[in-house]
Amino acid sequence: MIEVKNLTKKFGPHTAVDNISFVVNDGEIVGFLGPNGAGKTTTMNMMTGFISSTEGTVRINGFDILEDPIKAKKQLGYLPDVPPVYGDMTVKEYLEFVCDLKKVKKSERDFMIKDITATTQLGDVFNRLIKNLSKGYRQRVGVAQALVGDPDVLILDEPTSGLDPKQIIEMRDLIKRLGKKHTVILSSHILGEVGEICDRIIIINKGKIVASQSTEELINTAGNSAQLVTIKGDPYLAVEKLREWSCIDSVTIDSSNNDGTYNIKVFGSEGSDIREIIFAAMAEERISILMLRPLTSSLEEVFLKVINGTFENTSEEDNGEVLSIAFAQGSAEEAENKEADE
Amino acid sequence: MLSIYKKELRNYFTTITGYGFLGFLVLITGYFFISQNIISRNANYNDALAGSMIMFLILIPVLTMRLFAEESRQKTDQLLFSAPIKVPDIVGGKFLSALTLYFIGIAITLIFPFMLSRLGEPDWGTTIVGLLGYFMMGGCLISVGLFISVLTDNQIVAAAATFAAVFLLLMMDNISSSAPITVASSIIFIVVIILALALLIYSSTKNFPLAGIFSLMCFVATGVFYLFKPNLFDGVIVSVLGWFSVLNRFENFYMGIISISDIIYYITFSIAFLYLTVNVIEKRRWS
Repeated sequence: MIEVKNLTKKFGPHTAVDNISFVVNDGEIVGFLGPNGAGKTTTMNMMTGFISSTEGTVRINGFDILEDPIKAKKQLGYLPDVPPVYGDMTVKEYLEFVCDLKKVKKSERDFMIKDITATTQLGDVFNRLIKNLSKGYRQRVGVAQALVGDPDVLILDEPTSGLDPKQIIEMRDLIKRLGKKHTVILSSHILGEVGEICDRIIIINKGKIVASQSTEELINTAGNSAQLVTIKGDPYLAVEKLREWSCIDSVTIDSSNNDGTYNIKVFGSEGSDIREIIFAAMAEERISILMLRPLTSSLEEVFLKVINGTFENTSEEDNGEVLSIAFAQGSAEEAENKEADE
Repeated sequence: MLSIYKKELRNYFTTITGYGFLGFLVLITGYFFISQNIISRNANYNDALAGSMIMFLILIPVLTMRLFAEESRQKTDQLLFSAPIKVPDIVGGKFLSALTLYFIGIAITLIFPFMLSRLGEPDWGTTIVGLLGYFMMGGCLISVGLFISVLTDNQIVAAAATFAAVFLLLMMDNISSSAPITVASSIIFIVVIILALALLIYSSTKNFPLAGIFSLMCFVATGVFYLFKPNLFDGVIVSVLGWFSVLNRFENFYMGIISISDIIYYITFSIAFLYLTVNVIEKRRWS
């Protein structure tokens, strides 16, 4: 269990983390979401005692990280944004050193290292120097390090960064499995990932918590029925027809495709199901619908709305704007691929 | 402490550092052994030790530059400082590992006095006391190097700064003997020290009145002393610089005299720098 209360960090005049409070219960997987520079890493560094807080307290299983650091740190495993590995050690030597550092009993050590190696699938590189490993393997060594000592609480700072798509899926599965035994808090700027793994999402921006809800709640509250329709036929006629319906707030032509089809975005009023309406309207003019896909409920949209402060009252313009940004960014998978390439 | 100690010691021997250090130490000591003892037909091994101290300029940076600079460059300090271990244990472990490597080097060079005992009749008591002083002085310089290593995340900068610091410490005798001893120079020196301390207080507490009151009180105290005991101000610079002269303290050991005050000086000197190292780390985490 992690209790964070009124946590604040100031670097000179700059406030990196501004009075944030939250609780993570046992067995929960919580995602920590925010754009770059939002204060995710700073918060995590404070939670693990790497740096102190200017104000506020962090308690890990009831132990204050600054007043009772040894006991508190025993409860947690930390994977920083850069895996803290020594290049000139082999994986085996490194894990033995971490066991020493975390004061794992000699009798348990061999079994623990074997167990962790199996969990993180490091068997193939067990006797290789870490400096010769690829980034994905290093990341896994970093996760292995966090698991040493079987801590109750795992704090993972961008655990999937630098991994290839296959490794990302493996890492997510690993985190989900770990979440059954441990309390996990992980940060990410990849939304799809957080939505898939986490029970609850905390979104922070500019050092402040802007939303803290269960993943489902967050998606539902932000969802107002919007659809992306791909049609074959006159797009202007289609738009005109759709606008006649009272429950449709706005319609915009998004783009035209090479094969003479058009993508149209249709925004219905809050809570309405506009799919049938779209079908009926298009059928009337004999325009074929090639594809109908929900636009809302994507985490990207929620995220950007929250970050832009338009979470509560979304106007039409905001919707359009937000969506186009979301599309410019690409879907979660694309973003991940891009990162893997880097 | 043991985990860090073991890791650092192993690191010396899995990289070239440890072997390079030992090889260089034995080579230079051997050179001075030949020139001071063999060629000049002299049975006093302490002459070789005194001569070989010049190698500290190279050896101490090699030994200490990596210790903390590399941790912050590789970001492994995040592992150490979020692990259930206290900062003094980390610093102590690193210091002891460097000291152990240095000790191993000295142990290897013991072969030279043994050779000497085959050729002549060296005074073993004097030699052992000399080696003790040599070892403790090395410890002082290692603690200075460790302190410098924590200030930067660049090994090269750490090495260069340690070289400069060791150079200054070894030259301190020369510097202090040529320092002015007039009362005026002493007063200027004291004023500069007071202002520097006040600046330090201000920069760490951001409390201007506190720094002001501190410097004012120091100035008043200096004035009072000057009025009533002006001869206290003779050669202040020389005696202050003398505190830092690690070489000066070696003289007694060289002559085979175990002087408790010198032993305490060396130990205090090392602990002071280790304490500073711990404080720099803590301060960085708290700022």
